[in-house]
Amino acid sequence: MYDENGCDTDSIAVFFLEGNRMPNIEKEVKVKRKGFGDTSTFAGFHPVAGLMYYVLVIGITMFSMSPFFLGLSFAMGLTYSYLLRGTQIAKQNIMIAIATLIAMTILNTLFTHNGETVLFYINGNRITLEAMIYGIAAAVMISAVIIWFSSFNAVMTSDKIIFLFGKSAPVFGLIISMIFRFIPLLKKRFEEISMGQKCMGRQMEKGPVKKVKQLTKEVSILTAWSLEASIESADSMAARGYGLRGRTSFHLFKIVGRDIGLMVFMAVTGAIAIFGCAKGYTTMYYYPKVEGALPGPGGIITIAAFAALMSAPIIIDIYGEYRWQRLK
Amino acid sequence: MAKIEVKDLSFKYPLADKPALKNISFQVNPSEFIVVCGKSGCGKSTLLRHLKNSMTPYGIRTGEILYGGIPMEDLDQRRSTSEIGFVQQNPDNQLVTDKVWHELAFGLENLGLPNKTIKRRVAEMTGYFGIQGWFRRDVSTLSGGQKQLLNLASVMVMQPEILILDEPASQLDPIAAEDFLQTIYRINRDLGTTIIISEHCLENVFPMADRVMVMDKGEIIAFDSPARIGHHLADFDNGMCHPMYYGMPSVMRIFQPMCVSNENSPLTIREGRIKLEEVIEGHPELLEDIPAAHTLPDNKTNTKETSGKDILSLKNLWFRYNKESGDVLRGLSLKVKEGTWHCLLGGNGTGKSTTLKLISGIMKAQRGSVVVDGIKVGSAGYEDKLFDRCLAFLPQNPQALFTEITVEEELFEGMLTLSLSDEEKVHNVEKMLELMEITHLRKANPYDLSGGEQQRLALGKILLLEPRVLLLDEPTKGLDPFFKITLAGILRKLVDAGVTIFMVSHDIEFCAQYADRCSMFFDGEIVSEETPKNFFAGNSFYTTAANKVTRKWRTDLVTCEEVSQWIQTEEN
Repeated sequence: MYDENGCDTDSIAVFFLEGNRMPNIEKEVKVKRKGFGDTSTFAGFHPVAGLMYYVLVIGITMFSMSPFFLGLSFAMGLTYSYLLRGTQIAKQNIMIAIATLIAMTILNTLFTHNGETVLFYINGNRITLEAMIYGIAAAVMISAVIIWFSSFNAVMTSDKIIFLFGKSAPVFGLIISMIFRFIPLLKKRFEEISMGQKCMGRQMEKGPVKKVKQLTKEVSILTAWSLEASIESADSMAARGYGLRGRTSFHLFKIVGRDIGLMVFMAVTGAIAIFGCAKGYTTMYYYPKVEGALPGPGGIITIAAFAALMSAPIIIDIYGEYRWQRLK
Repeated sequence: MAKIEVKDLSFKYPLADKPALKNISFQVNPSEFIVVCGKSGCGKSTLLRHLKNSMTPYGIRTGEILYGGIPMEDLDQRRSTSEIGFVQQNPDNQLVTDKVWHELAFGLENLGLPNKTIKRRVAEMTGYFGIQGWFRRDVSTLSGGQKQLLNLASVMVMQPEILILDEPASQLDPIAAEDFLQTIYRINRDLGTTIIISEHCLENVFPMADRVMVMDKGEIIAFDSPARIGHHLADFDNGMCHPMYYGMPSVMRIFQPMCVSNENSPLTIREGRIKLEEVIEGHPELLEDIPAAHTLPDNKTNTKETSGKDILSLKNLWFRYNKESGDVLRGLSLKVKEGTWHCLLGGNGTGKSTTLKLISGIMKAQRGSVVVDGIKVGSAGYEDKLFDRCLAFLPQNPQALFTEITVEEELFEGMLTLSLSDEEKVHNVEKMLELMEITHLRKANPYDLSGGEQQRLALGKILLLEPRVLLLDEPTKGLDPFFKITLAGILRKLVDAGVTIFMVSHDIEFCAQYADRCSMFFDGEIVSEETPKNFFAGNSFYTTAANKVTRKWRTDLVTCEEVSQWIQTEEN
């Protein structure tokens, strides 16, 4: 095992073996793009900017049934989610979208009987083209919102949410922070409990009833243990003055020029898009007949504003990545 | 003026029949470093909790506690929050928030300081503690030592005048514990913060103290400088020392019998060496007839190491948690004979606990084999055989096993899956209560027991499954020296009854004194495996305090008793 230089030859052999494996790993990384995650440039902006972006984008998507808006929002959401979270999440998103599309279309077609264009009858109920189209549009809207939330999770990390809550309701901010603290702690404890039970030969029980019983036992151990432990947490909080009047909420975020710039841009484009929608430039009617003029000049401006709003972080992130590569 | 003055304090918990504190009076001067020691349940924690008004336990109290001349109960909460810091035992339970920076700011937020001030104070503290590197990390990703350091930092950020610590290092591994205690010492020296700390493991903390308070059954039995404490506790003329004497640092125990009454006892390895140098100069005959280290017969391991079959055999184990991470085990091989007590020693986070998980089949090695008493772990249906009267594993936290509301029921629950008659079960429970020496606690709630008692209850519960191989993960963690002796006695009884014990530990002194075999874990494999005597005689840094003192002359002495005996036989 050791050669005359006292070198561990086994380890060297392993090292070479691993050396040979390296290219495979790299290939894997290339095939499965990981995404920027929280290293994204947009995620580095102030939480208020992030919140404003998602409120505007998700809000407008939810309240407009214009196919232009929905299609655009869906495409942009998918692009940004892919950029941040990588191939795997993008695949998942597409699967969710397809499932929603099928389900919503079938449900809406079967249960809504409005619309002029009757395709056929089932049990004397009208099945209309309009209902089907509305179903498709609603499905696109819902899956777009879901996809936006998948990038929301990467951008709006727990500390940002705590900060935003802390601003308006400090107690909520603290509670969220404590929850985020307790989740990994409980997980760790549960692993230890489960390990202890396994070593007592308790997890080999067959049959669902016994399995549920065993799980109940483990959860009950976890509860008792955690409640006991929380007495110490409460002491620690009291010792550090929790409950004194006039608690403040500390954070590490500061607003700089680019945050204000981005917020102004989002406010302007958002306002145009909302104004355009309110004016009905892009409104589409599904019942009784699919109706909606092709967008006029007003409609084009509205859609363009919405597109500009949505693409802001995509451009920021791609530019950030480009700059990072150039500076390297 | 004294910082804290306690006058004739007595305290009784509401339902207790005996008082927890009896007629306690003492003073703490500004910037003093005070160590409080005593058996578990002697009232240390109760006393410490009285020194901060938001922590004071509920019960019947007489006497007075003055903080800077003000009665403790009249002290303004805001002032008490910032001026009296309190750090508790468990690193995990004290953390409140999810991020390191938020935890640091928590106390200052409560005090209502503006963002800018908080930032500045937090910045100062992170610099002082050297924790910039993990400032923005999640607290759940920190190690135990880092968590406890964070707890300390988040108290220090409020700039307290007094820091009270209740066994802060007992849940940490020795290296982290020493780091932590050194930080406390530095705070005391650099900032003049008054320190009152209770601790079981006195080796490190004794030389730091200005005064040591020894408590027993709710009373102060000695309160003096650390070098004088030995004189209060030892009474060699009557051959009866106070039990607390056996919890004192090893160096002190070695030389105490030869210290005359006005002499200071040596406390550190360095002082011990100087003292021994003097002794040897006075008695050169000590160095004659020293047997060569490796020819020594081992006093404990009689014939066991040559006879008996291998009940546990690990062969060429390779393990990593996932493909990208490095190897944790690199070709680990080890054989343990039936009916021996084997200790696996080694640094923190190197994979010792992982080894236990591989043995019990909780995780699977990528290469290599584990065979426990002829059962190959990982083979089809091995679990039914392995956990049926063969292998048992005691988790690090005994709470992980507790389901019932009394000790007795807890033990019955242990036999849930065994097919025994009720009479047999009752009989087994009685036997186990007796063996674990917890009969008097049979109606108590498991959560009301002390750490050592919980440990024994959990061990008893596991043992009711009648395992032949017992795996223990750090069984001495957080135990006081007396419980350790009790535990060692229990484990020895089991080994004598034929049970094989395989334990993972940091506790060098414990393993040196009680184990049959010790092995050193390093870089994913076993680098040495011997009897404790030969094992520690062969190490020069990773060895017991007693051995460090005597190495220069004799490498074969490992425990305090052996050294004491060596010096004294020649004296008489």
